[in-house]
Amino acid sequence: MFNRILNHLEEWLITFLIGAATLVIFMAVVHRFLSGVPYIQDYAVRLDVSWAQELCIYMFVWMAKFGAAYGVRNGTHVGVDVLVRQLPPEKAKWLVLFGLLAGALFTGVVATLGAHFVWENGFHFALFHTLGLELGDVPEGPTSPDMELPTWIAYSCVPLGSSLMSFRFLQVAWHFWHTGEVPHASHAVAGIEEETTPAAGGHP
Amino acid sequence: MNTLIIFSLLVVLMLTGMPISISLGLTVLTFLFTMTDVPMAAVALKLFTGIEKFEIMAIPFFILAGNFLTHGGVAKRMINFCTSMIGHWYGGMGLAGVLACALFAAISGSSVATVVAVGSIMLPAMVKQGYPKEFGAGVIATSGALGILFPPSINLVIYAIATAGMNGIGPNGEAVSSASVGQLFLAGIVPGLCLSFLLGVTTWWRAKKLDYPRMPKATWRERYQAFRDCMWGLLLIVVVIGGIYSGKFTPTEAAAMAAVYAFFISVFVYKDLKLSDVPKSLLSAAAMSSMLLYIITNAVLFSFLMTSEQIPQAMAAWMTAQGFGLVAFLLLVNVILLAAGNFMDPAAIVLIMAPILFPVAVKMGIHPVHFGILMAVNMEVGLCHPPVGLNLYVASGITKMGISELTVAVWPWLKTMIGFLLVVTFWPSLTLWLPRLLGMVN
Repeated sequence: MFNRILNHLEEWLITFLIGAATLVIFMAVVHRFLSGVPYIQDYAVRLDVSWAQELCIYMFVWMAKFGAAYGVRNGTHVGVDVLVRQLPPEKAKWLVLFGLLAGALFTGVVATLGAHFVWENGFHFALFHTLGLELGDVPEGPTSPDMELPTWIAYSCVPLGSSLMSFRFLQVAWHFWHTGEVPHASHAVAGIEEETTPAAGGHP
Repeated sequence: MNTLIIFSLLVVLMLTGMPISISLGLTVLTFLFTMTDVPMAAVALKLFTGIEKFEIMAIPFFILAGNFLTHGGVAKRMINFCTSMIGHWYGGMGLAGVLACALFAAISGSSVATVVAVGSIMLPAMVKQGYPKEFGAGVIATSGALGILFPPSINLVIYAIATAGMNGIGPNGEAVSSASVGQLFLAGIVPGLCLSFLLGVTTWWRAKKLDYPRMPKATWRERYQAFRDCMWGLLLIVVVIGGIYSGKFTPTEAAAMAAVYAFFISVFVYKDLKLSDVPKSLLSAAAMSSMLLYIITNAVLFSFLMTSEQIPQAMAAWMTAQGFGLVAFLLLVNVILLAAGNFMDPAAIVLIMAPILFPVAVKMGIHPVHFGILMAVNMEVGLCHPPVGLNLYVASGITKMGISELTVAVWPWLKTMIGFLLVVTFWPSLTLWLPRLLGMVN
């Protein structure tokens, strides 16, 4: 149940982010053109869209982190499978399991490092400030240049996304241990799954 | 010594079959943790700031645009147009396939998208016309590779990102700056046209020799009709390329405009994509781009490690000390890249190899733009041969042919491509002529 909600949230989030980022940049470009048109430009220049680029970058970085977690569940991450395919299944099994656990370890470490970084760069301040706790000399942390968003908010996608990714790796490993199957996506172009699943060719 | 440790670790981790991105990241973490005292906080920051560049964001936009175009009926109309123009020549449908791939490549940034878009329509049609399956699969799998040479190309964007900010030292000690996306796109045009022509000649020659069927000649009226139908798709070339070179858009903005435009024509003009299918297209584009961005993030970490360990400089010094000439170096690069093409996908190869090879190449006096195109052509060859040629797998999915069968089928065109690779490698003017003419590079 919890897992289903998480799956949907993940999908909605990345779908929304890529769509919204496209619209943001489209809007910024249209705005720039309108700013050059007589009559309309008087209205256009009143709108400030200098933040569009930064917002787009942040949206895509967030999309990348959560999309990477989605990719673990869906098997979009490409690996080198020459050796794994040569080995007999019972040996290949250990190698695959090692790969998945190593993925969980790496993303886990990154999540920890990221969490530490976010904490030190403003989350500590923000949390204690909101709760009205004793702050001492905890720094407030930097803000982004255009949107003046506290950077810890933007950077929190590293711990959040990486934790989710680590969880996904463990989930896939667990599933693999019990069923012997890993998710494998077709080669990356949408909507043609039924045509490109290379089941017959021996490619995973 | 460190170089050896880093690379053996990377290779061992990769061979376990774990995602390339994870093996890159783990190599860096392990090395930094055990052998250096670089603060770990720097690593966490790099994971965010590594992709915090607006140029990189062209990648998700181009992928999204490609996704809309693949399902939006643009390919179908381009194919009709190409068939009406040259379908009556020897191997007409094959030639039309090459031309359609070239046109589609000029509006989408990826080879796989090109093979899927053109192949899934063209291949069944060719079989119906009486062409052997092998012929069709060979033409489309190889011509689809044009996708990463013609602008806009995701691979060229990745090369630009991978080498961005690297200030190489030229042979005479002068500083050489890395190539921009705009320069690379422009430089890809002439080699792309040449390769399309050569693939077309190969197709024509084989079709003539084996006497394959020809199509009835279309009337000018039909041609005009077909042109009008696909005009909306062709306009995208103008939007992207024209937009970038007239200075109206940056490459990333052009990519975003392409995505919006592709959405618009697929849903409202051609009506081949239902509005309810749009979220699915968005999701799959997001998943694909996230995968690439994740490799890029970790590759940035990896090249951070390379730089801090001075590995490219050490390699450059070693190569010069060995007395490698330009020719030997270029051959070596080709061999390394073709070998890497056996194991990894193009984006990963460019991300790992470009930062290492770039300083050496510049030191040898190779133009950064020429080097980027050379890598792209290498990747094209890699896409068309087993064991990991993505184009082959896609073509195999469409035709239901086995990979070994397909390997034989693409061989005639692959020979042409390898020959062309050598031409591109040793004749820099082919690549640099157009950018120089327009004053984009010196």
